[in-house]
Amino acid sequence: MILGFVIIFVSIGYGFGNLRRPGPGLYPFFIAVFLILPFSIILFISGLKPKRSEPLFDKHGLRRFLLMVLTFFLWIMAMPFLGYVVVTFITAYCFCKVMMLEGWLKPLALSIATALFIYLLFDVWLYIDLPRGILG
Amino acid sequence: MVNLLACFIGALVGTIVGVLPGLGPTATMALMLPFTLRYGPETGLIMMAGIWFGSQYGGSTTSILVNIPGEAASVVTCIDGYQMAKKGRAGAALALVAVGSFIAGTIGIIGLQFFAPILGGAALSFGPPEYLAFMVLAFILLSNLSGDAPLKGFLMVGLGLFISSIGINPLDSYPRFTFGSDKLMLGIEFLPLAMGFFGIAEILNIAVETYALPMVKKLRLKELYPNKKEIRRSISPTFRGSILGFFCGLLPGPCTVISTFISWSLEKRLSKTPEEFGKGAVEGVVGPESANNSAVMGSMIPLLTLGIPFAAPSAVMLAGLRMHHVEPGPLLFQTNPDIFWTFIAAMYLGNLMLLILNLPLVGFFGRIATIRPQMLMPFISIICLVGVYSIRNSIFDVWVMIFAGVIGYYLRRWKFPIAPFIIGVVLGPMTENSVRQTLMIFKGNMTLIFDRPIALVFLIVAAAFIVLRISYPFLRRKFIVQKV
Repeated sequence: MILGFVIIFVSIGYGFGNLRRPGPGLYPFFIAVFLILPFSIILFISGLKPKRSEPLFDKHGLRRFLLMVLTFFLWIMAMPFLGYVVVTFITAYCFCKVMMLEGWLKPLALSIATALFIYLLFDVWLYIDLPRGILG
Repeated sequence: MVNLLACFIGALVGTIVGVLPGLGPTATMALMLPFTLRYGPETGLIMMAGIWFGSQYGGSTTSILVNIPGEAASVVTCIDGYQMAKKGRAGAALALVAVGSFIAGTIGIIGLQFFAPILGGAALSFGPPEYLAFMVLAFILLSNLSGDAPLKGFLMVGLGLFISSIGINPLDSYPRFTFGSDKLMLGIEFLPLAMGFFGIAEILNIAVETYALPMVKKLRLKELYPNKKEIRRSISPTFRGSILGFFCGLLPGPCTVISTFISWSLEKRLSKTPEEFGKGAVEGVVGPESANNSAVMGSMIPLLTLGIPFAAPSAVMLAGLRMHHVEPGPLLFQTNPDIFWTFIAAMYLGNLMLLILNLPLVGFFGRIATIRPQMLMPFISIICLVGVYSIRNSIFDVWVMIFAGVIGYYLRRWKFPIAPFIIGVVLGPMTENSVRQTLMIFKGNMTLIFDRPIALVFLIVAAAFIVLRISYPFLRRKFIVQKV
C-alpha cells in the first residue's frame, strides 16, 4: 500500500504528459493504482475475517533461517577479498552445518568437492574470470 | 552435437529435479541459464525445454513410489499411483507413465510443429492494441488460475510490472525509480530475481522445515512389465490426456498442474468403473501424466509465436532468449527459423532420450529421492551465488537475488503466487510499449480499441472471465440450495 502511494508520488514528479503523448510517469501511475486497488480489498477482507495467528517459524526454524541469510551475506562480503574458491569452501561448510549435517568429515568433504567443482566449472570449462582474492 | 548434448543434460537434470522434492523446474532453469550463455540461443532453448520436459517425467517417479510429488504437476499422480504401488503394481505404473509421457510428448511436439508457424503467421497482423488486449486477458487469467486468491495474483502482477519499470525507460530515455543509484539505471535483471524468488526462497524453506526421509522399495526391470489389461486401459487415457494437455498448455498460469487435475476428473467421469479412482486406477495415473507432458509443448506456442510466456518456466526461457539477443514472436519464423526447427528436432530426440533414461533407470531415480535435500542445498546455494555473479560480474545482482529470496520466502508463506510476479517482470516493458503506442495510435481515445475486432474478442473474454469468477460463489450457492 505504502509502495503504491510512493509510486504515485514519484510518478507525478516524472510528469504524465497527456493521453496523446504519454509522459514517463503515466505508466507507473497506472501500475500504482493497479497495486493499491487489490491490496485495499485484501486488507478489507482480511479485516473482516477472524484473525488466525500461524507462526512463520518455530524456534529452531528461525535460527536456521537467520543463519542461512547470514551465510549468504558472508559470501557476498568476503568474496571480493578472499576470492571465490576460498569463500565458496568456507560458506559451503557453513551451509552444511546450518543444514544440520552431522560431524565434520561429511561437511568438509562436501565443501571441498563444491569448491573444486565450482573452480572446474567456471574457471576451466566456462573461462569466466572471477575474483581470485588471496589465491591471486 | 552440442545441441544433442544440451538436450541430454537438460533431460537428465530435469528428471533428477522432478524426482527431488524442493527445487522445481523454474528454479533449475534459472540456475542453468548462465551456463548456456557460452553457446547459441538454440542450445540454451533446448536445454531449458529439456529440463522442463524431464521434470514432468521425473515427477511421477516419487509420486508413485513414495507418495511424495517431486513437483506440483505430479500431485494428482499420487492419488492413484501410490495406490497402484501398494498393490505391487509400481513397476507397471512407472512403465505405463514413461510410455504415455513419450506418446504425449510426441503429440505435443507435432502440435507445436503444426500450430506454431500458423499462429505465428496470424500474429503478424497484431498491432499494439491487440497485444495490449491480449496481455490484459493473459494477466486476468494468470491471476485467477495461479493460486486460490485472484486478488493476490493481481497484486503480484502489479508488483512485477512495477519492478520492470525501474531504470532508464527506452522510449524516452528517462530514469525512473533509480533514486540516484547508478546500479539501478539499467534496471533490475530478471535472472537474479527469478533465482531469488524460486531458488533461494526454496533453499530457505528447506532449511527451516524438517524433512522426513522416504523409504523407497527396490524395483527390478522385470517388474516393469504391465499386464494386457493395464495396457488396454491406458491407451485411450494416454491420447485423451495428450490432446487435453496440449490445449491446457495454451492457458496462462500453471498449465501443467491444471492439465493433470482436468485429466484426472475427465478420466473418472468417462470411466466405467469410477469407484476404482483413488484406489489405484491406471487411467488416473496415465491420463494426468500424459497431460502434463503435452502441456509443456502447448505452452511453447504463446512463447514462440507471440513472445508472451504464460508460465513461469517459459518466462525464464524468454529471459534466456533475450540474453542471446533473440526476441521470440511472430517474426521468429522469418528472422530465425533455424532456432525453431532445431528446437523441434532436438525435442523429438529429447523425448526419446527421456524414455530410454526413465525406463531402465527408474530404480536409480527412485534412490535419488532418498538423498536428504539438506545434503544438496549447500551445493545449490553456492551454484546460485556464483552463477548470478558470473553473468555480469556484479555483486549488486547477488544482493538482489538474496533480497528477492527472503521476500519470496515470506510471500510463499503468506500464499502469494510467485508466477504472476515473474511473468509481470518479463512482460513489463512490452506492456508499457503497448500502452503508450496504443494511446498514440488512438490519439488518447482508448475507446477506439473496441473498433479492433481481435482486441475486442480478447477484452470480451477477459470481462466474461471476471464476471464468471465473481458470480461463481453465488451461482454455486444457488445451485446447492436448489439441489437441497
